[in-house]
Amino acid sequence: MSYCVNCGVELDATAAACPLCNTKVYNPNQPVATEVPTPYPTVKGAVEPVKAKEFTILMTIILLTTAVVCVLLNVFTIQIGRWSLYVVGICAMLWVFFIPLFFPEKTSIYTNLALNGLSIALFLALVSWLHPNNNWYEHIALPIVILGTLLLEIIFIFVFMLKSSMIVKAAVSMAAIAVICVATEMVIDLHLRGYFYLRWSAIVLTCCVVIDIILMTIYLQEGLRAEIRRRMHF
Amino acid sequence: MTLCRFPTFQVAIRKGLFWRYLEPNHRPGPYVQPDIGNPCMPMHFKANNRYLIRIYYYEKRISLEVFHSLSDGTGALYFLKTMTAVYLRLLGHEIPNGEGVLDITETPKPEELEDAYLRYASSKIGRPRSQGNAYRVRGTKEPFYTLNIICGVIPVDKIRVVSKGYGVTITEYLNAVLLYALLQKQKSERPFHERPVTLAMPVNLRSFFPSETLRNFISMVYPSIDPRMGDYTFEEILQHVHNYMRYYINPKFLNADIVTNASVQQNPFIRIVPLFLKDFTVRRFYTHVQDGQSSAGLTNVGLIKLPKEMGPFVERFDVLMGQPFSARTNCAIVSYQNILTVNFTSSIKETDIERYFFRKLVQDGIPVKIETNRKMEE
Repeated sequence: MSYCVNCGVELDATAAACPLCNTKVYNPNQPVATEVPTPYPTVKGAVEPVKAKEFTILMTIILLTTAVVCVLLNVFTIQIGRWSLYVVGICAMLWVFFIPLFFPEKTSIYTNLALNGLSIALFLALVSWLHPNNNWYEHIALPIVILGTLLLEIIFIFVFMLKSSMIVKAAVSMAAIAVICVATEMVIDLHLRGYFYLRWSAIVLTCCVVIDIILMTIYLQEGLRAEIRRRMHF
Repeated sequence: MTLCRFPTFQVAIRKGLFWRYLEPNHRPGPYVQPDIGNPCMPMHFKANNRYLIRIYYYEKRISLEVFHSLSDGTGALYFLKTMTAVYLRLLGHEIPNGEGVLDITETPKPEELEDAYLRYASSKIGRPRSQGNAYRVRGTKEPFYTLNIICGVIPVDKIRVVSKGYGVTITEYLNAVLLYALLQKQKSERPFHERPVTLAMPVNLRSFFPSETLRNFISMVYPSIDPRMGDYTFEEILQHVHNYMRYYINPKFLNADIVTNASVQQNPFIRIVPLFLKDFTVRRFYTHVQDGQSSAGLTNVGLIKLPKEMGPFVERFDVLMGQPFSARTNCAIVSYQNILTVNFTSSIKETDIERYFFRKLVQDGIPVKIETNRKMEE
């Protein structure tokens, strides 16, 4: 048997270091046993995924019934235009939004985000088909939806995939806000006037750039970060 | 075979409009499964065929995990002992009932299923719930689902001699050592404001009220040391814990504690609050108030007895407290024959509390053997 030279406790034959102080075991008379089983299993467990079957069925029936009833009302009773198509579109969009709750173990956050973007784009396409008016869909709605989805994907990658610090995550989010505001003003300007001139988005852009510069300065200056951490009691 | 004798364990938890409730569960299971390195994982109420218990095996060890709303340590121990006895009988050994092994052929007694809190809540006043904020251990959180275990195996005769030498019981001695370890930890952090070091310790109420319930029947006491009053020596901590236990752990004080808990449950205004509001409030109360009122949890299940025919097959018992919400370290103690085990469980990387604790035992001349599921860093 080996004892920790630092703590004085007896160690398990399979222990390569003391669990209390991490001092390595050097015992020429008894090397660390690798053949005998360890006191605890090495396999890590994971909770069995919960199947949301009942919830999926319930929500699908609710959305489907709403859509079908509205179509029937539109066809037989309230025959003013094709209003029921809006309800059908919204129901389909909501079903796509609920996918992460229906199949929690199968879908990734990035796929869900892309699907959400696609469903919004398709819903707006439906609206544009019902109101074919001066190409607003191709010139404004579609570019903003595509850009918004891409930016959200980038933010989520920084938040969940890359082990970046809080400061970097905040800086990326601020940059995304600036980009989406400028892009929104640009597509609206180009659509309405045919030229682009920065107005309200310039204010947002300035604020975001200032905040980003401050954040990146804090991030790059280790001393400054430590100082802020102390003052803010992190 | 065993589960039919324990209807309080054969249940599923369901969501009502105002509260959650337990209902009998006749789904297949729960199935015995190979043990894992991170036990006491969170329980999804809908997973595991809605059972709120898990049974594992590893080498020569049987493990039982129980969701705390079903039962406390004593109730779970009845289940584990009976299940082990049934297993040994299936292997062909003659194991009698008694000493916590229940007869699986008899029907469950109504006393075993009762809510003993309501039966014994007779005090006219309750005791205040708040203990004041305590020192909170801070540490580097491990990824979700990690439960770090450090187990100390100690000979009972050696620890009994030492605690007798101090003139206290083994529980009081271990309580004092844990308070001492927490005080050392707080001191090493050199805080600007020191805080009282408090333990949350469950007391088995069956020792004070004649109940046979297999459901929860515990109350909490909070032994505490306030370092703002000055530096305590280990002997002073022992004296304080010894007096605290004598003063607070008696039927009158414990009854008042039961009344405090039962009054919340029975209050008609609280009962009609919808469940989602209750969930939100209770969660916030626990994480912001209750969790901050103790520095660590300590439970002592005590000395376990078994029918002597089971003796050759059982080497030792271990008790683990589940994954804590915060960065704290919880400690669970149990003894069987001449082996006492102290299991520390935490979700943080640091092992300072455990180190101070076991080093103090070694300093007092108690031999300790350490086992862990941690992967030590190179």
